[in-house]
Amino acid sequence: MTVIIIIQMAWRNIWRNKVRSMIIISSVAIGLVAGLFVLSLYKGILEDRFRTVIDKEVSHLQIHHARFKEDFDPKYIIPNNDELIKSLGHLSSVKIFTPRTIAQGMLATGTGSSGIQIVGVDPEQEDRVTSLNSKIKEGDGFVNGKKNQLLISKKLADKMHLKVGSKAILTFIDKESNIISSAFRAAGIYQTDNTPRDERIVFVKQKDLNSYLSLDDEFHELAILLQNDDDVENVQASLKNQHPNLQIESWMDISPETKLMIETTDQYSLIFIVIIMLALSFGIVNTMLMAVLERSREIGMLLALGMNRLKVFFMILTETVLLTITGVPMGVLIAWFIVLIYHRHGLDISALGGQAMSEFGFSSMIYPAFPWEKILGEMLIVLIASMLSSLVPAIKAIRLRPVEALQK
Amino acid sequence: MKTVIDAHNIKKVYNPETIPVVAVNNVHLHLERGEFTALVGPSGSGKTTLLNLIGGLDKPDTGSVIINNVDITKLTPNKLIDFRLHNIGFVFQAFNLIPVLSARENVELIMQLQHVKKHEIKARVTNLFQQIGLEDKMDNRPAQLSGGQQQRVAVARALASRPQFILADEPTANLDTKSADNLLDIMAKLNKEENMTFIFSTHDQRVIERARRVITLVDGQIHADSSPVSVNVDSTIT
Repeated sequence: MTVIIIIQMAWRNIWRNKVRSMIIISSVAIGLVAGLFVLSLYKGILEDRFRTVIDKEVSHLQIHHARFKEDFDPKYIIPNNDELIKSLGHLSSVKIFTPRTIAQGMLATGTGSSGIQIVGVDPEQEDRVTSLNSKIKEGDGFVNGKKNQLLISKKLADKMHLKVGSKAILTFIDKESNIISSAFRAAGIYQTDNTPRDERIVFVKQKDLNSYLSLDDEFHELAILLQNDDDVENVQASLKNQHPNLQIESWMDISPETKLMIETTDQYSLIFIVIIMLALSFGIVNTMLMAVLERSREIGMLLALGMNRLKVFFMILTETVLLTITGVPMGVLIAWFIVLIYHRHGLDISALGGQAMSEFGFSSMIYPAFPWEKILGEMLIVLIASMLSSLVPAIKAIRLRPVEALQK
Repeated sequence: MKTVIDAHNIKKVYNPETIPVVAVNNVHLHLERGEFTALVGPSGSGKTTLLNLIGGLDKPDTGSVIINNVDITKLTPNKLIDFRLHNIGFVFQAFNLIPVLSARENVELIMQLQHVKKHEIKARVTNLFQQIGLEDKMDNRPAQLSGGQQQRVAVARALASRPQFILADEPTANLDTKSADNLLDIMAKLNKEENMTFIFSTHDQRVIERARRVITLVDGQIHADSSPVSVNVDSTIT
């Protein structure tokens, strides 16, 4: 019963000075909005990067000859590929896969030359796995029946002054280590958010590249998309078991920086949140201290009448908690609304370092995603921060000597 | 007669290390149940300090204050708070009601702190408000009451805990004549009918005239301890 009257008193006390209470409630709400928006941005950036890595660059898994990646020697094709493809077809968790032939070489135009990786793809299958056609910004892309076509990135095309329809010379070595040079015509210019990757990869038809490398239906790389992101480790282990002589890598092995980013985001966002909460805490300490000092006579009177210090402490703590509890839903609601708007329309940060984002493989258009899974933790942090902040005023209150406080 | 307060040789010095001010100097005070006592004296004579010492709001530098066989000067701060809750009622000059609680809730609070059962609280609150004549104002907030009404609620609050005695520090100082008379009537009635012990510090001649015992303090010492007839408050201010 005493608890009820103390909560009742605390609730009424916070509305004695509406402006001051609204300042604390607003601070809590703004702090929460800032914290949640930062988390949403991180989540949006990482989700986008994760999906790009899986759906447009690396896929869930890649298979190579165990020695192929040592120096990309074209002779290290995937052995018994028929058997491998057949076994993949039987795995229900495998959604789709595409074979690639890869050669390290050089692209030369009248302007200059550049070291590149030539990736021979099956255009239709590649499009299904990595949405290759959606990346083409100029030109029609690969056309059936036409030989020696080339897809080049905008970055590289600009650097080499290559236009759609122009020719470039690709030089590489075949599996017998013979140097091959051949002219390819640019059938399209593609662009992704990953500029460094764009700059080093050109796509050609697998059939064309295989004929130059003296390969039949062989290939160096098999990129696999799974039905579910969570199946990666299981499928990888199972394939490793079945094909111990092949190098079977997950996206985490191929793109460790993405894995690291996902793993460390929580720590980074926690730092941001702690900074926001510190600012909030100082505000609460200041305001609640003012409230206690203004009411020292009244608190002194309560102590004089016989309300023990624990109850006075609890009353001040409750006032802060009630203010926080009022601010939290406001903050969550506002943050959710803001994130919803930006999630739909995107947040274009190209003017604020979009180029730099692109250099690191990130899109300059961010679609924040509301971090529902972190909302409880975030609310808990705000609550703990406000409770800790109320300790100073609460201790100040219980240290009041009734005889002195009553004279104020 | 039952002894309510037995203070021995109490002394209180403020600022002992800078400019010492002896507020109460070797005072012996013995009060029995049912007394209606006024502490009088000029400003700075130590009335409020003495009330604070016997009310356990402050500790004497020397001496003891025994209430209900307990030496309250030896109690820890927390035990002292609990002792005050169950044994001493306070009425302050500035009423000091909690502004966010209604008159009823102000009175109930003390009993809730004492963990009195809900039905008992209800019955007692009704009875107390009848005694102070404010049954129709129970749900008003202090700001909606006049000064006299607020002080009557403060008396009800002081009585709510069924204390050994009530300490009232200048209870009529902020009241007009009519309100002061009304309040004194109520306190005198409670003293007479319920044998409640009252100790006032006051400058108010009306209070002094109605007190059955008047203790005059001068410079922190008891100058006189007599019946009200022989006391003129002005004559004590030297």
